[in-house]
Amino acid sequence: MTSETVDRVLDTPVHRHRMPDRNFRLWLVFPAVLLLLLIGLFPLIYSLVISFQNLTMLDQDTSFHGLMNYAQLFRDRRLWEAILHTLLITAVALPLELVLGLVMAQLFLDHMPGRQLFIALIVLPTIISPIVAGATWRLMFDQRYGPVNQIISWLTGQQQVLLWTVNPKLVYPAILICEIWQWTPFMFLILLAALSHVDRSQLEAAELDGARFPRIFFKIVLPAIWPVMAIAILIRGVDLVRIFDVIWALTGGGPGTMTETISIYTYIQGFQQFESSYTAAIAFLIVALMSIVVTWAIRRMGLAR
Amino acid sequence: MNARRRLALPLRYAAAIAFTLFFIFPVYWLFIISFKTPAEIFSYPPVWYPKSIQFANYWVLFKDGDAFTVWNSLVLASISTLIAMVLGTMCAYSLVRFRTGGENLAVWIISQRLMPPIAIIFPIFLLYVWLGWVDTYHGLIILYTAFSLPYVIWMMRGYIEEVPIELEESALVDGCTRWEVLWKVVFPMVRAGLFATAVFTFVFAWNDFIFALVLTRTEVITYTVQVTHYFGGQSNFWAKIAAMSVLGTVPIFLAVATMQRFLVRGISMGAVKG
Amino acid sequence: MAELTIHGLHKRFGPVEVLRGIDLKVSSGEFAVLVGPSGCGKSTLLRTIAGLEDIDRGTIEIDGREVNDVRPRDRDIAMVFQNYALYPYMNVSDNIAFGLRARRTPEAETQRRVRSAAELLGIGGLLERYPRHLSGGQRQRVAIGRAIVRNPKLFLFDEPLSNLDAQLRDEMRSEIKRLHQDLAATMIYVTHDQIEAMTLADRIVLMNSGQIEQVGAPLDLYDRPATRFVAGFLGSPKINLLQGRLVANGRSLAFEASDGTSLALPAALAAAAHAHVDRSVTLGVRPQHIGEASGIAGRNEVTLRTAIELVQPTGSRTYVTARLADAAVVAETDAHAALKPGATIDLAFDMGHAILIDPESGKVFAHGLAE
Repeated sequence: MTSETVDRVLDTPVHRHRMPDRNFRLWLVFPAVLLLLLIGLFPLIYSLVISFQNLTMLDQDTSFHGLMNYAQLFRDRRLWEAILHTLLITAVALPLELVLGLVMAQLFLDHMPGRQLFIALIVLPTIISPIVAGATWRLMFDQRYGPVNQIISWLTGQQQVLLWTVNPKLVYPAILICEIWQWTPFMFLILLAALSHVDRSQLEAAELDGARFPRIFFKIVLPAIWPVMAIAILIRGVDLVRIFDVIWALTGGGPGTMTETISIYTYIQGFQQFESSYTAAIAFLIVALMSIVVTWAIRRMGLAR
Repeated sequence: MNARRRLALPLRYAAAIAFTLFFIFPVYWLFIISFKTPAEIFSYPPVWYPKSIQFANYWVLFKDGDAFTVWNSLVLASISTLIAMVLGTMCAYSLVRFRTGGENLAVWIISQRLMPPIAIIFPIFLLYVWLGWVDTYHGLIILYTAFSLPYVIWMMRGYIEEVPIELEESALVDGCTRWEVLWKVVFPMVRAGLFATAVFTFVFAWNDFIFALVLTRTEVITYTVQVTHYFGGQSNFWAKIAAMSVLGTVPIFLAVATMQRFLVRGISMGAVKG
Repeated sequence: MAELTIHGLHKRFGPVEVLRGIDLKVSSGEFAVLVGPSGCGKSTLLRTIAGLEDIDRGTIEIDGREVNDVRPRDRDIAMVFQNYALYPYMNVSDNIAFGLRARRTPEAETQRRVRSAAELLGIGGLLERYPRHLSGGQRQRVAIGRAIVRNPKLFLFDEPLSNLDAQLRDEMRSEIKRLHQDLAATMIYVTHDQIEAMTLADRIVLMNSGQIEQVGAPLDLYDRPATRFVAGFLGSPKINLLQGRLVANGRSLAFEASDGTSLALPAALAAAAHAHVDRSVTLGVRPQHIGEASGIAGRNEVTLRTAIELVQPTGSRTYVTARLADAAVVAETDAHAALKPGATIDLAFDMGHAILIDPESGKVFAHGLAE
């Protein structure tokens, strides 16, 4: 062995075995990978195959129909509206959750009496099922018996019978409120932990140097918590794109198709219209696009190292 | 400087209370509806707290057999969690200690966690129809297990990395097989991580809606799907919605309360060691 | 440059009183070192001067102005932290410039001052680099640069060399001393290392359990310690302490150890100790003042014969441990003396440098050196 190879061997990171056992390590991953192929590879291939056919509820036509379904994708106005709706929700909810979570994290960063209790209570919405969250707000938003309208009535002095789940002007606020209510605690928790890990002596040094809070926050704190924040944004961003339960509970995609998102639209196409091939095309496209974006993000952030 | 700090605290406290009220009130509302009488539920102005705690709504659920759906959720979530924990930890160990599959495998595994269920569920549904696995326990268990694996693998990777490799090397020298090293040395060391990850995996499966919606019909309905059965076009069975939701939520509160030390790490997928 | 005055400072953390009545005055341009064992309160004291901690009672004055309620950033002080506290997402130049930019100093001026500070510290070529690409010593210099660039009234150092290896520490110590000479600034420096304290300080403030044991020039504390604690803290190897009694010895006094061994006290020492005759005392003699007897008795020397237990050569000197009246005594001998454990040796005690301690109060009541 030359000294170079010796160095390379000695450079092996300390948490890996230097004598790999080929069979053992492969057998360890085999069952998991097999199951993962079920949800990772199979849907991709199967969707692709079916999307070239013309399968619907009535018509079991498995002949090759070329790119017919994909062409239809581009012409499908409802699909593009669904994409727009999804992006709208994501673009509004994500920054709000982030900012609100940051404000709350900063608020709860220092000690105060009862802090533990506050945090435990705030975190509850994140733990319940999204469908339950949707159901809860459906009850909250009820036009006659819901507390939301009642409180608004108190504030405005006159009785309000707002139809949160039906009125086109109110459905999006309703969805957004429910979603932000459920997931801001998630952001809050992560950001709180990240903030508490910031090196105190850097903050003290900055304070001694004469910096005021905004400067300290933007130049020192934010860069320090950015890695964690990026992961949180990725997770929440992806979750928002596939939002389903909350909308299903609150509006069912309505009124009309006003609040249909990608997931809702796909579900309707597949399980209510039974346009199997077309749905497969949509599914394939979604998976392909998400794979690219997500894989890029994971590699970029070094999550797999 | 003392004066400045003293001023800030009441303000912070007020803000803290305001935030907490916002986040806790809807949960509170859900809970008390489940305890109200129909008269109290459908009263205007709303009744802010019921005169007494009625369990009538829960009783109805049990009588009608709807509460059985909670049992379904329990079976599906626990079995899938168990399998996922075992297979996932094995896989994570291989990834950490032997760098199996390199970065590519790790990236692929993690990316599965971020795939949209709806896109995956559709082909799976067709497959299950062909296999006759729709509305079966094993069908859903397999799916939940597969979907939980990325999370388990990702989390356990972090916990395993924290175990000093010298412990394993010393066990190998002492005569253990690799298999024994995994189960006798590593597993006990990551016990805390195992429990925490198991709880969060359980919660993900328990709270799932879309898979259950697509793949159950009558036999294996979970509580999440059952709740939506109470939504009506004209009227909603409010009491049932609330009661069923609470039935499905309280177990989760308890489970997470026991693991609240690991809350941050579990929720952030290990991004922050909470 | 500024003067620092502290009156009656008290501070507690919860039930624990960490600073118990500190009175201190540091003159303008002085290099004061706060030194003491872990937990003595030196870092806490430094942080109260910085304004990073509140105080419960007492006053802190910088240049005659009371700063108890003044925010850290308005006290015109700079601090160098133990772990450097560099901002990892800024390069060296931005790190140093941070304070100036925070005070809205014009950019041209900022650049000029950053550059001259960097040149002074020998890091002029590193201005574009990031902290993670710097060695420990370089990072330390950046931290110091950040402090000096603001021309503050007061410099505070919180154990800045603790994270460096021994060789680097020696280098940086000289640099800091040179810096003090160049800038003629008032500096307050915290360390647990007595060698750093001895070499750097104009005056040492030795602390123990939240109180000041003694303040004075390094050699003052070394030669004329006020208490047993001070005598034991400074000096390496530690001072030898022997229990015994003072007895009359002709017209003078002698120290009698428990086994009867007697060491005569020189006149100067005896003069201060008369009141303690026939009482228990502790005798302190530093290893540097015990050596191998040369055959010619010095003026204040007392020679005793004992057996060698341990021999520890260090290259420049050899330390010999011998037993004397139930106590282990360390003596310093020439590096090349051929000494072996078990052999007998004649040790000469220079009693002119000895001190006497009252065992009950711990106070040193007599030392042989002229005031």
